[in-house]
Amino acid sequence: MSEHLDKIREAIVGGLHNEIEELVSSAVDAAIAPQQIVNEAMIPGMDVVGQKFSTNEIFVPEMLVAAVTMNKGLDLLKPLLQKAGSVSKGTIVMCTVKGDLHDIGKNLVIMMLEGAGFEVIDMGVDMNVETLIAKVKEIKPDILGLSALLTTTLPEMAKVLESLEANGIRNQVKVMIGGAPVDDAYSEKIGADAYGGDAAEAVQIARELITG
Amino acid sequence: MKSSGYQLVMSAMFKGEKGDRPPTGTPTSIACHDLMDATGISFPEAHLNAAAMAELALGGHEIIGFDTVMPEYSVDQEVAALGADVDWGDRNMMPDTKSFLYQDFSDITIPDDFLEKPSMKVLLDALSILRRHVGGSAAIIGKAMGPWTLSYHMAGTQNFLLQIGLGETAKVRKMVEQLIPVTIASVNAQFQAGADIVVVADHATGNLISAEHYAELLLPYHQELTSQIDGPTILHVCGNCSDRLHHFAEAGFNGYHFEWQVDAKNAVEIVDDKMVLIGNVNNPQTLLQGTPEDVYQQARYAIESGVEIIGPECAIPLSTPLENLKAIVAAVQEGY
Repeated sequence: MSEHLDKIREAIVGGLHNEIEELVSSAVDAAIAPQQIVNEAMIPGMDVVGQKFSTNEIFVPEMLVAAVTMNKGLDLLKPLLQKAGSVSKGTIVMCTVKGDLHDIGKNLVIMMLEGAGFEVIDMGVDMNVETLIAKVKEIKPDILGLSALLTTTLPEMAKVLESLEANGIRNQVKVMIGGAPVDDAYSEKIGADAYGGDAAEAVQIARELITG
Repeated sequence: MKSSGYQLVMSAMFKGEKGDRPPTGTPTSIACHDLMDATGISFPEAHLNAAAMAELALGGHEIIGFDTVMPEYSVDQEVAALGADVDWGDRNMMPDTKSFLYQDFSDITIPDDFLEKPSMKVLLDALSILRRHVGGSAAIIGKAMGPWTLSYHMAGTQNFLLQIGLGETAKVRKMVEQLIPVTIASVNAQFQAGADIVVVADHATGNLISAEHYAELLLPYHQELTSQIDGPTILHVCGNCSDRLHHFAEAGFNGYHFEWQVDAKNAVEIVDDKMVLIGNVNNPQTLLQGTPEDVYQQARYAIESGVEIIGPECAIPLSTPLENLKAIVAAVQEGY
């Protein structure tokens, strides 16, 4: 069993997108539970990818391919997971803030979060505050993730926090923020719950925010 | 040496004689709300109208006191001329490309009248206006996108980077090769229109690709590009590029405009005999959120490290206070 899981993990870390489907199918055929494949191969694989990204061992192209690889494997497992009634690790709404169309950072975070077993609702880019608040009210996510690449759009993050307060729902959702111009000090200043420096850190933070 | 802004900048660009103080300047956008209010010129007008574009740039020299003027605030002038759908934004929002014309990496068509397209013409006209206003007193900087950044706009950044990850380097090279003539045409036209220096912004940043990929997939094209440009050029690549400075130094640009994430002393040590350094006061933490004293300290650190031209690390945030920008000017007034 561990050989199957090792190979899947290594395939994700190495971005072997042409091989992953066969490896996952073969693990399923060997009667390994889909949840176990996710928990013991895919999530640890993406954790390694995240760590390598954090330490500049790999960069965005390699991370994107790892995510493509994971998604191919996950697509095979999703119907089986649903059948088995597997439970998500939490729900996260993600977007880039109003005025910011740069979504690579957000997309990398989403890939990592999905790889880590979270259900992510991707609201896309350039998200206006009103639509975002309505979505938060509608689906009551555990976490709201805001991304900005541009320093010009930083103030939009504060507006989202203010609007959550004004709508009386600030204490219903944790807010994590990230992006090139963001840091811990800014996160504290605007009253966010956490700042993630990169996609791997975002996963760690999401885990901590949900487990409390 | 007479210490007019123009002379200080141009002398620094060629590692010539030092004046009584270091020059201030920035090859990226100096536009902020305070400057818009002071000049009466706002976005998106400043992207679309040559006189407005030039007037806002002049504010950087006449109101803030920088020794350079640079009239292009977006990264979209060339891609708009190539046919991309650009949202020119508003006072609070920078322009951005809304459509990616070559996501399939098919052959790129460069219009014969590329330089006559409105988005290019406005820039070239603005440079000529600036030449008539401040030629000889402030250094006029033009700005062109390099083939790598143009590729992001043609294919979509994520799509382009994914091809590298998938090992489709032939596709990547082909797109970059097709876009080199765009950059060369833009740079040369900007010199002819009145620019003293042109910055080539090409975002092969440390946050996106590895130094090895820069050396393999872009450095040869930068060398080709710079061999076909006569005037002085500056390379702008933001992010932490400490691991690829030695490659930049081989690319043939006269200068490198860099971020605070790259330590100024380290940068000087690596490239000083080959490139002039421009920068590197931090934008988000210091210019935007810091005090004039914080800015002053960072500018002095850059001067003391040997950075030749002192200014912000990248296009400044729109809500940057004018007093923080003036703190850079105050720091250079104290001399070396």
